[in-house]
Amino acid sequence: MTTTLADGVSTREVREPGRRWLPHWAAGYLFLSPWFLGFFGLTLAPALVSLYLSFTEFDLLRDPRWIGLGNYTRLATNDPKFVAAMRVTFTYVLFAVPLKLIFALSVAMLLNKGVRGLSIYRALFYLPSLLGASVAIAVLWRQLFAGDGLVNQIVLAVFGVQGPAWIADPEYSLYTLVILSIWQFGSPMIIFLAGLRQIPQDVYEAAEMDGVSRRRVFLRITLPLLSPVIFFNAVVQTIDAFKAFTPAFIISDATGGPVNSTLFYTLYLYQEAFAYFRMGYASALAWVLVVIVAIFTVFSFLTSRYWVHYDE
Amino acid sequence: MNDQPRAASGGRAAISSNSLLRHVLLCAASLVMLYPLLWMLASSFKPESEIFHSMSILPSHLDFDSYVRGWFGLRDTFGTFFLNSAIIAVLAVIGNVLSCSLAAFAFARLEFPGKTIFFSLMLGTLMLPYHVTLIPQYVMFLHLGWVDSILPLVVPKFLAADAFFIFLLVQFFRGIPRELDEAAMMDGCSPWRIYCKIMLPLSLPALATAAIFTFIWTWDDFFGPLIYLNDMSNYTAQLGLRSFVDSTGKSDWGALFAMSSLTLLPVFIVFIFFQRLLIEGVATTGMKR
Repeated sequence: MTTTLADGVSTREVREPGRRWLPHWAAGYLFLSPWFLGFFGLTLAPALVSLYLSFTEFDLLRDPRWIGLGNYTRLATNDPKFVAAMRVTFTYVLFAVPLKLIFALSVAMLLNKGVRGLSIYRALFYLPSLLGASVAIAVLWRQLFAGDGLVNQIVLAVFGVQGPAWIADPEYSLYTLVILSIWQFGSPMIIFLAGLRQIPQDVYEAAEMDGVSRRRVFLRITLPLLSPVIFFNAVVQTIDAFKAFTPAFIISDATGGPVNSTLFYTLYLYQEAFAYFRMGYASALAWVLVVIVAIFTVFSFLTSRYWVHYDE
Repeated sequence: MNDQPRAASGGRAAISSNSLLRHVLLCAASLVMLYPLLWMLASSFKPESEIFHSMSILPSHLDFDSYVRGWFGLRDTFGTFFLNSAIIAVLAVIGNVLSCSLAAFAFARLEFPGKTIFFSLMLGTLMLPYHVTLIPQYVMFLHLGWVDSILPLVVPKFLAADAFFIFLLVQFFRGIPRELDEAAMMDGCSPWRIYCKIMLPLSLPALATAAIFTFIWTWDDFFGPLIYLNDMSNYTAQLGLRSFVDSTGKSDWGALFAMSSLTLLPVFIVFIFFQRLLIEGVATTGMKR
């Protein structure tokens, strides 16, 4: 049996090997079979089921009971904890992401000037990004920002005053987590550094010949040429920040306290699902998160055309 | 902070003083960043009384007491937790590399009906927060009787559930010259042989990157084990550490720091050995951490 392979090699009229007993496209499905199982069994079907569950009351013991928009109306009108979780999460995103990116860009620009020992600095700055997601670092943060922790010891030694109680103080607790996020600026920094390397050097040389000030070089050359990378980092970091969980869980003993000040959205979702077994309500929370992330993504792609410059 | 000296601004002296300033800034920044880590490590060797009164990153003498107290601090030892973590991480690495490279080969090299649609669906799952599939997955694993075993943590890896790595490998496979597999196909090689004998051997750097990141992410994973593992004898290192926090509270920071340092050790070792690969991986694929 002689057939022509689709695309790619079609121009060559390839003779198929003799012992072929399957159509030529079967190989593709065979190679994809684990992914098919995963995609339908672990992603698509569960996503649809969770959409269904979000319209029900479900505690694992009894069958789900249809309550229409009940969960969503409760979310929108009668759930102070949901409001707290939204406020905490948005505050976190609003502070952590820009500060982390500013840090990452500043250090990347310092490193891009041809510093000796670049690879050592790069590795040192990257290390916290790699370790940061673990429970151990959250444990460390708990001690650092305890009332009698290392930070307050330093504050006392340097300024001679007793610092605030940080994680035990609802005014500050969230910001200790923002600091933890900034501490992990290493991976966006590496991406910025790779982006800075792509900017042709002669653009800078030309600007210098014309005596353009540093500020203008930064605003008119570096930022625009780097904007695709800034955009990428901003989107990835924001989505990641919406999903933050472990540090808040460890630092607040799974409560999101004090006074809900570290009640990240995902922590609240976890509590609803696995502490109170309100699976229907938690599913509604999950879908609200999807909608938020989707709106954010669409919004950033729509606005990107006004500030992100791609090469022709 | 944002001093950006131009490379060729006014004379030698200016250049060297600028670069000195940069080094001072960078050194100071790395010190501030690493100080907490070093302090934690040092504290794990300090006697309890010293931890809260010493900011030094050098313990006065090496004291392994905290390690012993921590290791045996719970009903099951940290040996059990580390073993569980290692088993899960190794299986996850094998599963992820295998299933993702199979899928990536299909997307990069094979032709079949619906390929474009499936590829976009695969990319779509990248954006989907895992919370959406979480609860039905949990219910499903509960009905399968898999809760409180490592299966819910490992089986999805064999089903290419982490689309990110498929994407990474597709990108890499596309960079391998097509002439190679066309020639092999002319010689009557099956797709399976092309995958085994050409694609995999030529993709070792990408496969290694995928393996290393899978290892680190699985080792650090907290949410999955938290939900699926109940009995302490099944705990991973992260989960064990969390229980230890709960049981000691603030009473034994030395032991907590000792066990924290130990759970960081495998990731740190991987970092030391595969630093270049990790950093290149982040730079070229934009990995988020």
